[in-house]
Amino acid sequence: MKILLALDDNPRAVEQALLIARGRGAVLNALFVIDATWEMFTGHDWLSGCNARIGFLEYMLSQEEEAAVLALKTYKEQVAGIAGELLTVTGDVVDEIRKEAGKDYDLLVMSNPFTRGLEIMRDPVAKVARKLPCDLLLVRHAAKREESS
Amino acid sequence: MEDKSIFSKLLAIIPGLAVMVGTLYVLRMYVEPWMNEVVVFGSKGWLVKVMSLNYILLSILTGMFYRNVLFAGKIPGWAEDGFRTTRLFIKIGVIMLGSLYTFDKLLKVGGVAIVLIVSFVFGTVIFIMWLGKRLGADRSVTSVMAAACGVCGVSASVATAPGVRAKPVDLAMAIATILGFGIVSMFVSPYIGKALNLSDYQFGAWVGTGILNSGQVLATCLAFNPNFAPGTAVAYGEIWNVVRVISIPFVVFFITAWYWKGEADAEHVSLSTIIASKFPIFVLGFIGMTALSSLHILGAEGSETLHLMRQVMAWVFGIGLVGLGAYIDVREMKAAGGTPLRIGVIAGLVKYVLALIIILAFIPKEGAF
Amino acid sequence: MSDNKKSLTVFKTDRHEDFAAIIGSALIVVVVLTYMAFVVPSVSIKPQQDGKLMEIFVKEGAEIKAGDKIFSLEVVKKKWVKNVMEEKVAIQEFTSKAGGKVLKVAGKPGDKVKKDKGAIIVLEHIKGTLP
Repeated sequence: MKILLALDDNPRAVEQALLIARGRGAVLNALFVIDATWEMFTGHDWLSGCNARIGFLEYMLSQEEEAAVLALKTYKEQVAGIAGELLTVTGDVVDEIRKEAGKDYDLLVMSNPFTRGLEIMRDPVAKVARKLPCDLLLVRHAAKREESS
Repeated sequence: MEDKSIFSKLLAIIPGLAVMVGTLYVLRMYVEPWMNEVVVFGSKGWLVKVMSLNYILLSILTGMFYRNVLFAGKIPGWAEDGFRTTRLFIKIGVIMLGSLYTFDKLLKVGGVAIVLIVSFVFGTVIFIMWLGKRLGADRSVTSVMAAACGVCGVSASVATAPGVRAKPVDLAMAIATILGFGIVSMFVSPYIGKALNLSDYQFGAWVGTGILNSGQVLATCLAFNPNFAPGTAVAYGEIWNVVRVISIPFVVFFITAWYWKGEADAEHVSLSTIIASKFPIFVLGFIGMTALSSLHILGAEGSETLHLMRQVMAWVFGIGLVGLGAYIDVREMKAAGGTPLRIGVIAGLVKYVLALIIILAFIPKEGAF
Repeated sequence: MSDNKKSLTVFKTDRHEDFAAIIGSALIVVVVLTYMAFVVPSVSIKPQQDGKLMEIFVKEGAEIKAGDKIFSLEVVKKKWVKNVMEEKVAIQEFTSKAGGKVLKVAGKPGDKVKKDKGAIIVLEHIKGTLP
């Protein structure tokens, strides 16, 4: 069995993916997508001149990279003993998850809502789920779970 | 992204640009004339006169339709490079707007604009610093919202964010809030202006002072009166807009200095560095165009030359506004929330209403030119 | 860092975009002025306001100078005076912005005219001047 874990800031998704991988002896790949859609998100801002906009986009990229380092460090601490890879890519979060999920995985585990990068503003789960070639396990977001309880 | 040659970069722009130009052509040549003739509720041209659905608003709405419905939330790869020229078109339009003025006209209105803007900008910034404290907001959120609500909306938050170490999630919420407020005011303000019988001068001054996001000031003025000529809403609104844009680096400096004052690991903030990296250079083009106009190089007022120039300006703006609409994702705006939304709504409404009251009380209907 | 810049916008930075906008608008101005001054053979002078054509001061074939009266319109002048919109019917005279030869007088006194619609006079302006 081959599992893909889409990483965001939800520790419950990691816990669930590890639980299944350990129980099934599966290969677990974790994917962290550095969101590259800030340019599109702020594309309507035509007033920024000089180097304001590019400085902002570079700052956001540095923030995204910091988030990647932190997420991967936390993940590595928990994943000991399980076969698999840590993948980091830059791009549109939904596109990258769908692209990776198309590579012979049996199960995709992701948080719901999925809060990676600017996807907090969108509906990534619905877009990922559409015609997905593998099973999908949605794990309720820890923070959202606390809110509802 | 791989390095492309200039030729392939230009080639990549064509499909998206063709969509923008084609859309505007259809809107200006067919849709707007039809709307001018069609009878709704027994009134000819009701859609344009009452609903303000001139080609400006139609361009933005069509762009929004492309992004949110036709493209299902994401500009497709084939159109992306073309749509990226949006900002260039709008900046060219803004520079060409400089031809509506001469320096003596700018001086007549500039003083009022500077007084109103400086008092509103710093008034809002200080109000938000107080409000942020009351709401228990993080200093970086307060800083970004103070810049965004105080001066130029999204551009100000973009300029301030790196200096105050804003968090991505807060920024996303702040930008969605400001843009949402700007879009709503863009559609609502022309009705309020007409209902209150505001003159072009009053409307331009109100919108230029009260709308949170400067990106929507010109479009709102053009929705109120689509003519490009001296004495129209856009001619007044643009003066306010230029003063606001010029003030961005100073506001960023003020807010960044305030932010670091409250941090343990204070960083040195330099006004000259901020001006060097944030000053909107295209404003110099606007001033240059006003200089040409003042020297009567662009043709006399009422000439066919100036008429053609303004026609070109209207097309350039229109193309840019189709693209602008395509950068507006309604779902992203709806996701706005948290402290940025609370601060934005309170400050935005206060500023919008207070500006209207001050304009009604102190700005005469007679335009300065 | 420079690689990121290349991938983020059409232009390398906003500064490039700003300069491109300045150059773009300068190009537009140059093209429009050159076209009107040297390329276009004649210009149709259209009404600048809605109204009624009252008088035409020039005849076909006449040579005129910049500033000469060419026609007058009966227009409704709207003006804010002491915060009240004042509307009054007035006769307004329009002058030529460039000198040249009147090729055609298309309008007739008494015609109802609409802003920017239909030529009143067709003028072959002196090359190098802005009509």
